[in-house]
Amino acid sequence: MRGDIPPSLFGKRPRDPFWVAANAFFNGLERVRSLRAPVVRDARPVDRSLRLTVRAVRREAADVVSLRLAAPDDRPLPAWQPGSHLDVLLPSGRRRQYSLCGDPADRRAYRIAVRRLPAGAGGSLEIHDAVAEGDSLSVQGPRNAFPFLARERYVFVAGGIGITPVLPMVRAAHRAGADWRLVYAGRSRASLPFLDELREFPADRVRVRADDEDGVPSGADLLASAAPGTAVYCCGPAPMIDAVRAAFDPSGGSTLHFERFAPAPVTDGKPFEVELARTGRTLRVPADRSALDVIREQIPTAAYSCRQGFCGTCRVGLLAGDADERAVSDAADDGFLICVSRASGGRLTLDL
Amino acid sequence: MSVRIEEPDGIVLQARDVRFDWSQVPLHWIPGDPVASHLINVLHMLLPAGEEWFVRVFKEAVPHIRDERLREDVLGFIGQEAMHAASHDGVLEHFVAQGLDVRPFTRQVDFLFEGLLGDRGLTGDRRRSWLNERVSLIAAIEHFTGVLGDWILNAEALDRAGADPTMLDLLRWHGAEEVEHRHVAHDLFMHLDGTYSARLRAMAETVSMLVALWQRGHRFLMAADPIVQGRIKGGLRHLRRTGPAGLTPDGRMMGASIRRYLRRDYSPLREGSTAQALEYLASSPAAQAALR
Repeated sequence: MRGDIPPSLFGKRPRDPFWVAANAFFNGLERVRSLRAPVVRDARPVDRSLRLTVRAVRREAADVVSLRLAAPDDRPLPAWQPGSHLDVLLPSGRRRQYSLCGDPADRRAYRIAVRRLPAGAGGSLEIHDAVAEGDSLSVQGPRNAFPFLARERYVFVAGGIGITPVLPMVRAAHRAGADWRLVYAGRSRASLPFLDELREFPADRVRVRADDEDGVPSGADLLASAAPGTAVYCCGPAPMIDAVRAAFDPSGGSTLHFERFAPAPVTDGKPFEVELARTGRTLRVPADRSALDVIREQIPTAAYSCRQGFCGTCRVGLLAGDADERAVSDAADDGFLICVSRASGGRLTLDL
Repeated sequence: MSVRIEEPDGIVLQARDVRFDWSQVPLHWIPGDPVASHLINVLHMLLPAGEEWFVRVFKEAVPHIRDERLREDVLGFIGQEAMHAASHDGVLEHFVAQGLDVRPFTRQVDFLFEGLLGDRGLTGDRRRSWLNERVSLIAAIEHFTGVLGDWILNAEALDRAGADPTMLDLLRWHGAEEVEHRHVAHDLFMHLDGTYSARLRAMAETVSMLVALWQRGHRFLMAADPIVQGRIKGGLRHLRRTGPAGLTPDGRMMGASIRRYLRRDYSPLREGSTAQALEYLASSPAAQAALR
């Protein structure tokens, strides 16, 4: 039993005197403290959201708009650094993350830019169609999942709307006098936002590539100017990041940085049902969502962390049904990682 | 010339999917210095059980958090700690395979975290109070992991001594993530309880237990080591040599950090540098491999 006092280290005694003493002392202390009824208060709620006003909506490219957000009374906003993003709560209740693409030195306003994605989940359409100057938006942040570090040499690789976190990095690198290059790629020149702002920089540092003129670039094309010892910062669509990852050469002290949007899209998913044994409720998990996403709507305090099936935080007991064991660690015990694993068919009963 | 950039702030904490290959790592990974190697190896015996306990306690705390940003920090912290525990477990298996059977000691560490500090089957306010008590202990322990993380990132003497690169990468990757998330446990404690008396008690208990376990752990490793075979007696007195030599932390540094922790205006953010931690993580072989 775990609760039993362990034997001494070299097996001379069945109960180690050190732990006999520590156990008696600690439990005695707890017993004395428990004579008084404990005073427990609930944590004070903390609301960190900011109510901001849309000061300007500007068209930046064929299907990209930027929003300038400021406090209603123009007070200075919380500071941020290149790579930071805001969580924007849209009028519909949707919550979306957008990189800050303005100037960190401008403490009066934040700028975000949004590409219209007709096939997306609706957040971008809402910003394009339903948000106008003078509207009020609730935001949280800034937070930083793409920190920008001090180096001597940078190569920035941006794909389309992926320019948003990169633009403040380019500005910071330029101001600091670093040796930097930017490769900025997209379907066509008309689809690329902020080309006008990039004209402020020396032309030999910025390379714009349009697929309809230059063809779709390979990872090697994108990294052509990365000498040894370069920090490569990359933001763009998943295939571009994958190409850069594959072509990246870490020898010579180069480092690769990209924003890790934690959950990878579900591949080859089939819909299934999960039964939560403790409440008897049954939930349907659609083909394109994880069990974790669906369960969190019912149990907002369910613990999870990496959302990629390696850290094991979201493991729950699998009481009945067959899992497809997508997580490497699933096979080891009767647990089930709700962030990636799915049913191999039918229904799963979880100890939740 | 390196570009000046301000200290990053508001970092989103994410676990990194690291892996280490221990097969080539010698038992005395600081060459010719089993004493210093084992002073740090004690940590490998404490961390897996300890960090798994952090994960259990923090998962229990999540439903009580009334601050969305803190909840995100705590969830990121939990994932990082789970990866730390698993990685140090890998080192222990490698030690056992090399004839250093650490299991009698880890059995005792399990008793500490699963017995003494485990779930006591309490309910209601007593359960909450016991949860807060354990969060206060984790905040005190995390003060030390942050200080030790900062130390290992700057421990150039280990490079000069030819320490094994895989072991150094494990310790520095872990240390860098400890520095990266050094504010989370303290923030959680201040959110859920925040009383100074609990902080004081937690630090007193943590220091006593840490000193005792470090002393006992080192004596155990020196006695159980198949190469040393008990010819050198272990114990914390060795810190008088290894500390000033820069091969291990020293008592004076730890003492000064305790005095800082006990100040009422203590902030973990003043210990160590986020920029330095992130720079290490950007170049760590294990953390970089996890990106590819």
